[in-house]
Amino acid sequence: MAIRRVANYESDLSSVLFETLREFDLPVRGKTVLLKPNLVGLDPIGMMNTHPAVITAARESFLRLGAAEVMVGDGPAMDRDTQAVLESIRLREFAGPLSRFFVDLNTDDVERVLLKTRASRLRELYFPKTVRGVDFLVSMPKVKTHHWAGVTLSLKNMFGVIPGGCYGWPKNILHWAGIDRAILDINAAVRPDFAIVDGIIGMEGNGPIQGVSKAAGVLILGDDPVAVDSTSARIMGLAPEKINHIAHAATLLGHIDAQKIRQLGESIVSTRTPFAVLESFRHLRQEAA
Amino acid sequence: MTFSEENCLPYLRAAQNPDGGWGFRSGAQSRIEPTAWALIALDQAFPANTASEAIAQGLRFLSDAQLADGSWPAAAGQGDGAWVTSLACWAFLSTNENRDALKRGLNWIVEERPGDSGAWWRLIRRLTAHKKVSMQNDAYWGWSWTSGTASWVEPTADAILVLGATPRDLLPPQADGRRKLAEAMLFDRMCPGGGWNCGNPMVYGVAGEPQVSTTVWALLALREHAERTEIQQSLAWLNKNWSSIQSPASLALTQIALNAFDCGNSEFSETLARLYEPDAISWSVPVAAWAALAASGKKFWSQRARVEIKN
Repeated sequence: MAIRRVANYESDLSSVLFETLREFDLPVRGKTVLLKPNLVGLDPIGMMNTHPAVITAARESFLRLGAAEVMVGDGPAMDRDTQAVLESIRLREFAGPLSRFFVDLNTDDVERVLLKTRASRLRELYFPKTVRGVDFLVSMPKVKTHHWAGVTLSLKNMFGVIPGGCYGWPKNILHWAGIDRAILDINAAVRPDFAIVDGIIGMEGNGPIQGVSKAAGVLILGDDPVAVDSTSARIMGLAPEKINHIAHAATLLGHIDAQKIRQLGESIVSTRTPFAVLESFRHLRQEAA
Repeated sequence: MTFSEENCLPYLRAAQNPDGGWGFRSGAQSRIEPTAWALIALDQAFPANTASEAIAQGLRFLSDAQLADGSWPAAAGQGDGAWVTSLACWAFLSTNENRDALKRGLNWIVEERPGDSGAWWRLIRRLTAHKKVSMQNDAYWGWSWTSGTASWVEPTADAILVLGATPRDLLPPQADGRRKLAEAMLFDRMCPGGGWNCGNPMVYGVAGEPQVSTTVWALLALREHAERTEIQQSLAWLNKNWSSIQSPASLALTQIALNAFDCGNSEFSETLARLYEPDAISWSVPVAAWAALAASGKKFWSQRARVEIKN
């Protein structure tokens, strides 16, 4: 995985992402790619959702790497009006007409998937056909604290593929099934092939919606979503082993142990930016080495 | 020709699937929610222009999709009923058809209790009150999106609306009690200052922002309480928010609510035409239906159906 320092959204994100993605030698030539950003709700000040500049740069980079088609798709959890969410973050201004590349996963056609992991109480879930049909799936969260899950990164971001058209707004069935274990069930069923975390500006405190803006100045990338989330948590000053859903996912889906994670770019120590957490999550804090 | 006749009606007609249902978009899998909205719009907004056969086929699709317990699933193959049961009942009510299916659906709605209505859940909430992150009153509950989960604003409003529009002879005896409790829940869940979001008006002491669609459904469900301050505050929020709307869905829903309170915005048609893009991601069957209903100016939910529902 890789950590890249990026000062702001006006930086040359396309070059940073293209050069970094090239180092991973990803099998995307001639393939269909779906970028799954974290789009939660109306966000005119750009604090809550994955920034459109990062989404656009990632899309351009995968096309430059030879992908046949790069779609962007999400199913916002709190607001039915997906277009209003996209307009509020000005995605159209960055990436052009939305209908050319965006898929509303809340209203996509669906197929039933039996959950083999059975980590939560769920036995099956309906997934969007677009998510199940693409060759290469990329989770693109924003670095945020989360008032139920501790943090929301590439694993928690996959909640957004569950269609509101089947489960409502919010997808409350996942909360009642147990958030931490439902995250494992979903990621085991549709494991992201890659993760790009928007850590340029994140959110601390009462995230994922009502927190406070926090500049961390990094992009975190990798082909192991558990390793990406563990590294992101360490940059946030949190211990991934204490974050239940990351610890659960590490039993099946990737590495949490820093010694087993191959690292490119900046170091965790040099980019460490402690995020404030709610009182109920104080125990997640990791002491600086 | 009006905007609706030129854009909504042809879109809705063309999007009907051979099985009689509608998907969220043209060519998509038939689902209960878009089918119900298409039927309501075709019947209410275009009574003179619509082939009755299209409506008959749509109603047959709904009848065939009804589960044995009287509910409807959000997607074909799901074994449990969901919030779309209220919308399916609304479609039958609107078209005055299939009394039996409607009655079974209404019974399910009234019998269906959300997960937060259970004594065990409420006891746990009471014992862990010091850890409470939201300040809602746990004595109130309404309806959930899916079986066994918590009450939320939109499914609660949907159920209140359909129960309120149903002739008394079709209503199960507990319907009035459920409605009153659910109305209390909606008032309790209003955001400070007016409007509703999905159902979290205050988390960790921070006020939530209202959203258009949930505010609209809550206002429609509570329209009989127009004199209350909460309603006036919420209408004021909707009106104030008008100029910042950037999508046909939010615009149409806002106008539907304003129409219900006799204060529709005279710039609706002009604004809708400006925001409309035929291939926009949000131009779906429900949105075309809402746009048609908004443009019609009809208060299709505003009173109990008086005509006899056919078998």
